[in-house]
Amino acid sequence: MKRHLTGVIAAGLTVALGVSACGKGSSSSDGDGGGKTIKFVAAIYDDNTQGYWDQLIKDFEAKNPGYKVQLEMVDWTVMDGKVKTYVQTKQVPDVLNYNSFSDYARDGLIYKASEVVSPEVLGDFTPTFVEQAKYQGEQYALPFISSARLLFYNKDLFKKAGITDAPKTWDEVKADAQKIKGSGAIGYGLPLGPEEAQAEFYSWAMNNGGGWVDASGKWAINQQANVDTLNYLRDLTKSGLTQPNPETTDRKKVFNQFAQGRIGMAIGGPFTRAGFIDKVNKDLQYGIAPLPSKSGSEHNTLGVMDVLAAFKKDGGKNKEAVKKFLDFYYQKENTAKFLKLENFLPVTKSAGDALSADPYFKQFVDALPASKFAPTTNPAWTAVAGAVKQDLGSAVAGQEPKKVLDKIQQTAEKSG
Amino acid sequence: MSEAGTQGAEAAAASAPRPGTAPRPGPARRLGRALAPLLWLGPSIALIGLVVLWPVVEMVRTSLLRISSSGATLGSAGAGKYTDLFADEDFWPVVLRTLGWVAGVVVVTVLLSLALGQLLNARFPGRRVVRWAVIVPWAASVLMTSLIWRWMLDNDSGLVNRVLLDLGVLDEPVNWLAHPTQAMLWMMWVAVFVSLPFTSFVILAGLQTVPGEVYEAARVDGAGTLRTYFTITLPLLRPAVLIASIINIINVFNSFPIIWAMTGGGPGHATDTTTTFMYKLAFADQDVGMSAAMAVVNFALILVLVLLYLRASRWREETR
Repeated sequence: MKRHLTGVIAAGLTVALGVSACGKGSSSSDGDGGGKTIKFVAAIYDDNTQGYWDQLIKDFEAKNPGYKVQLEMVDWTVMDGKVKTYVQTKQVPDVLNYNSFSDYARDGLIYKASEVVSPEVLGDFTPTFVEQAKYQGEQYALPFISSARLLFYNKDLFKKAGITDAPKTWDEVKADAQKIKGSGAIGYGLPLGPEEAQAEFYSWAMNNGGGWVDASGKWAINQQANVDTLNYLRDLTKSGLTQPNPETTDRKKVFNQFAQGRIGMAIGGPFTRAGFIDKVNKDLQYGIAPLPSKSGSEHNTLGVMDVLAAFKKDGGKNKEAVKKFLDFYYQKENTAKFLKLENFLPVTKSAGDALSADPYFKQFVDALPASKFAPTTNPAWTAVAGAVKQDLGSAVAGQEPKKVLDKIQQTAEKSG
Repeated sequence: MSEAGTQGAEAAAASAPRPGTAPRPGPARRLGRALAPLLWLGPSIALIGLVVLWPVVEMVRTSLLRISSSGATLGSAGAGKYTDLFADEDFWPVVLRTLGWVAGVVVVTVLLSLALGQLLNARFPGRRVVRWAVIVPWAASVLMTSLIWRWMLDNDSGLVNRVLLDLGVLDEPVNWLAHPTQAMLWMMWVAVFVSLPFTSFVILAGLQTVPGEVYEAARVDGAGTLRTYFTITLPLLRPAVLIASIINIINVFNSFPIIWAMTGGGPGHATDTTTTFMYKLAFADQDVGMSAAMAVVNFALILVLVLLYLRASRWREETR
């Protein structure tokens, strides 16, 4: 009995520690000699994404006999870990659909854009997005989808609170939120939780002259304009004009409550209609307006872009197949179909016209030229965004805005 | 036991000089005999090496590397990742919180399990149903359990707030998981909830090994219920409690899904334990090396904690 106990303890320890220690998994990939089979890792935007790619790949393989595309669908929440593992274990996919690329470009892992798409495709990209796809002056990434943010407001709640027009200035936002609160709803839905705090914050900061970097491209996260922005959001929170605890609220919750008609204003994107509002209440009376700014004179919008990146593999043997596949995707009807299906904005000139027909989308397409982007071309951005997601929300709860921004600035400077 | 016995006999036979036999076995044969146990031990040694030791070596190696945010290795970092980690202002609060979390969850779990084990051991109608009911939290996925609790605690549509409001305990809904202390207590409750089945069944098994005669003798001697429990049941349960606590310590220390699903370690780092902190270092701060350093520290902490526990509970007396 006693000796058994030793055995059991030893075995228990071994198993428990062993299991906890092996956190690192690896996935298998097969290498084919001809370079005609490529692996495409695509992000899951919603339930329709996989069906779209399955069909596209089928069409591609039918038109290009001998070429094969292996599709792997990956959820956004695990994408980062997946990609790191691929690179660590030298099993990179041939084509990756993601929201950042600059660290791959810096580490020499991906092709330049001109190497993997035809000149026609290259010339079709909208210049705004090409700028965001460059690393040190060279275009590496292929713009894939884009998105913009505008202010959504509930017309019924506005009417009930006696507000006629959408707010243009920050003071108006606060005053309107106060009125909406007075009529029993939540004034402004502020998602500053770890999911997308950086997007919500930047949507406000850019309309106060703030941002992530200064004119010379150096990190300027604790600049006065940003501190003021955070103080303003903190004031909204402390005055009870937002939903409780913005620091733990994700977008999903805000949009759901907006769709239920319980929130007066929130910042949303093209996806908000199909993804949230129509699911809950197709008849919701809402309007869309430019993002409010401190002064009320200029209204910037947050631009978001996801990209495709092509990884170097086997000394460039995969280049031809990758190029064939990418050129196939960037045909006008294929890209337009994807954008419509997923409610995103175009990154190419040719697909742009197709979407402007819908008045809902037109507002976002029209806002794109005034859009500002997060500095995704800086390889350190992912780490900075990570720090922002983790810590920024605490500035509207217990912490001092200036202190929180100072800390993020430090992280940014350390990361490069 | 029986294998150990035959092995012992075999070893004795191999090493004992045999006066009657000549010629002596050649060196090759002797080597063969010496290596023979490897045939039996080999597979398990290989398995332990592959599944336990190799990941540990990888983990330590990774903690000494500089790894780019893309995942490419940039070279050695020496002990740099460790100094970064110890200098991080969130590190010590996280470690202390983890120790509190482990101690709280394990102590409460074991105490409740002692009572539950006793109940499950008693004879009463419907015992089988109760035993099954206790297994349920074990059979349910921890992640699902945590998510369900997260929604039950939601300030907007959660069941807990509804019930407390209807009972008049609260005047307005509380956002339980947004306040670090409350969130921590609720998560500890969930951790206790999912640890109970295993622990109470280990204790039940322990209770069933206590021979009935001992209790009979105690009854004859006139010992009361409490006295019987503290002087007979509890001491005889020591091995079971020991095993249950150690396995729980390790499990709770490394528990990721409960915290990740319920608060994500937030707001900020206010409800992070070493495990969720480790994850954030790798995937939010993009520092795989520092995350591995945290993993090594975590590993060392568990080892030290378990050794201290064994020492405090005078483990050797148990196994002599």
